[in-house]
Amino acid sequence: MPVSAADPQKTPRAVEGRAPDVFRIGGWVPMRQYAESEEVDFAIVGTGAGGGTLACKLAEGGFSVVGFDAGAYWRPLEDFASDETEQSKLYWTDDRIVDGENPLQLGGNNCGKAVGGSTVHFAMVSLRFRPEWFKSRSVMGYGLDWPLDWREMWKYYAEAEEALKIAGPVTYPWGPKRPRYPYRAHEMNAAAHALAKGCEAMGIGWTETPLATVSAPRGLSSPCMYRGFCVVGCSTNAKQSALTTWIPRALKAGAEIRDLSMVGRVEVDASGKATGVHYLREGAWRFQRAKNVVVAGYAIETPRLLLNSANPQFPNGLANSSGLVGKYLMTQSNQAVWGLSKDEVRSYKGPPSLALTEHWNYDDKKDFFGGYAYMSQGPLPAMWAKTQMSSRQLWGAELVRSMQDYNHVVGLKMVGEMLPQERNQVVLTGEKDQYGLPVPKVTYSWCDNDKAMIRHALGFMRQAMEAIDAHDIFDQDDDTNHLYGTARMGDDPRSSVVNADCRSWDIPNLWICDGSVFPTTGGVNPSLTIQAIACRTGDRIKAMARRGEL
Amino acid sequence: MQAARELNRAAAVLALSVLMDSAIEHYRGSFKNKAMFTPLAVSALALGVSAHGMRDQRAVTHGLRNGAYILTGLTGAAGLAFHTYNVMKRTGGINWQNLFYGAPIGAPAAIAMSGALGSAGERIRHYAPFTPAHIWGLPSGRGLAALTSLGIIGTSAESFLLHFRGAFHNPCMYLPVTLPPIASALMARLAWLPEGSRHPWTRLWLGLTAFLGFGGVAFHAYGVNRALGGWRNWRQNMLDGPPLPAPPAFTGLSLAGLAALRIIEAKRLV
Repeated sequence: MPVSAADPQKTPRAVEGRAPDVFRIGGWVPMRQYAESEEVDFAIVGTGAGGGTLACKLAEGGFSVVGFDAGAYWRPLEDFASDETEQSKLYWTDDRIVDGENPLQLGGNNCGKAVGGSTVHFAMVSLRFRPEWFKSRSVMGYGLDWPLDWREMWKYYAEAEEALKIAGPVTYPWGPKRPRYPYRAHEMNAAAHALAKGCEAMGIGWTETPLATVSAPRGLSSPCMYRGFCVVGCSTNAKQSALTTWIPRALKAGAEIRDLSMVGRVEVDASGKATGVHYLREGAWRFQRAKNVVVAGYAIETPRLLLNSANPQFPNGLANSSGLVGKYLMTQSNQAVWGLSKDEVRSYKGPPSLALTEHWNYDDKKDFFGGYAYMSQGPLPAMWAKTQMSSRQLWGAELVRSMQDYNHVVGLKMVGEMLPQERNQVVLTGEKDQYGLPVPKVTYSWCDNDKAMIRHALGFMRQAMEAIDAHDIFDQDDDTNHLYGTARMGDDPRSSVVNADCRSWDIPNLWICDGSVFPTTGGVNPSLTIQAIACRTGDRIKAMARRGEL
Repeated sequence: MQAARELNRAAAVLALSVLMDSAIEHYRGSFKNKAMFTPLAVSALALGVSAHGMRDQRAVTHGLRNGAYILTGLTGAAGLAFHTYNVMKRTGGINWQNLFYGAPIGAPAAIAMSGALGSAGERIRHYAPFTPAHIWGLPSGRGLAALTSLGIIGTSAESFLLHFRGAFHNPCMYLPVTLPPIASALMARLAWLPEGSRHPWTRLWLGLTAFLGFGGVAFHAYGVNRALGGWRNWRQNMLDGPPLPAPPAFTGLSLAGLAALRIIEAKRLV
């Protein structure tokens, strides 16, 4: 297989008027380029679910857009291997300091450093919020209200689902009516059937997971062939990531993507408006002028950039008059119950979570706030060995023996809502990373409500596993996943960083568009909601531009 | 006599479609259950006796041939029950997931239809041209029209199920769920009307449906090419892509419809 000679992690690919064609080995597509001296309409920092989507929406709306990403511009067909260790190249593994009572494990699936961001390796689970979560304070008595209305979000969810050709069940059993998923659900693997059987035994509903991987051809994406390496990068392009959907559209509409471009600072002038971004590319710090800056670096990099851009006028960092930049960091509980089935399961075949239940997101007869979903699982071998090491302390001969049962492993894993707490946060330290930027410190502790939910979920999933006669059952009680909350949106400048349009209260031409704006997490995976918010933000920006309000 | 041989030909086309399709699908299923060889054996048998019938000029029912067709029909019926059981026993019972990905209900029905068409051909073979033969209480032409109508609508229903599974991602995927139902309705009408008049539109529409069976193979070949690696990866994509041998079922059934039409229009001469 011909592979480009230069290492895409060392030499930028999106240069000289062209960008990699993600659908063709060694291929290129034309790309418009902007001079650094040219004041582009939007400089977008980050090209994942938030930034990639918004770059597409704005470019298609006629704005000049440059998207910056610290990561490489991959061509999945030629660059991705069926090898977990090799594929860790998709993660953001720069230095971080973690502390708190329950320090987060960073550098894995909760981050991404690539054009397309973590959607390049996400598990493709594409769920909508429960409508009440947008008003969880006033309707459900916990967390915070969002400044968004669920009925408006329903429209943007539909737009994102259509853009990704989500393959989902013919009818979704929970929540208000939604349009039919654009593509049909995938065939369930044995692990998914195990989840379904467990749910039926427990008397709760289940369904096929709506997934961002196509079950029929779509343009140059071939249908999923159930290779199973989805979470370390889909090498067949069945996965509908930002890299294969929004970004090709953005390029076609005239956006430029700059890969291997680490933005270190947003420049703000004396009038208090952003003027552009300083970024490191090919060993030199450069400056791109821009009329608007969008920060979309996810819940650690976004506050790090805002805090690091402090100047005499904004000594506590940009957009931080509320003091909330970096505060109220949230993750989701990702605990699991594992066991062995007497039949071969081969759970690693196909996408990892082909079936799920949202029962405990919609049933409020619980003694804790918030909800959780749980999903069928298909851990890859290295990940499975790591789980056995960390959760069961297996090592050596014992671990080898246990790995021989790999084909019989069956498991259920929760995605649970954790509550926002001020003490969970991202701050800068005095240490410097390879870019010369301050290393962030990430502090995390669970609260009693988080622990009560985890107990409930582990207990319930264990019963479901016992109901399908799994044996050698054990709990994995320490895992977390998605990140949120460090630049939350709200109605009040004193208690939020951005408004409903993702526009910062303090600097009118500075926007934040990623998972950091979530006031609460809900009990589902965030990617679809991030993309729906980005779609909405794109439409709002277009409307404001028409009215001269930018 | 001519109609009877046309029916042999229709049964042959249908049997060939089923033989190829079940060979590919059951190979894909690794012949996990020994019974999965059965459709290969009986459709090969039906194909063999149909070839024999097509060459046979004698106006008499061939006992062995008829027996083989009846066996084919019964096996198809048993397969239908077996596939239904397979769908029902899956978690969730009858739901879209199991209808999409469980054993296809429509496939064994095509075997049954091949046997029924062949056997019908044998039954009308020994009648003199102007003696009305009967199939299930209807004059032979009308009975055959009813059978064809049922077969076409059933095949169209199966293609709806599978094309719905493919989200009708290509607009051409609507063709087999729009054209054949009209052919089916036209045949149902013939089963209702007295025999003896001419039906040029029905003939045309049957021709179109027969052609669709061939066209479908070309579309499915294109579909196989859209999977990763395309035809270069044929060993995988032939199994997982759209089934190449399935669309000619429409051709086989349309040929049977044309045979029915021949009998019905021949009554004008009386």
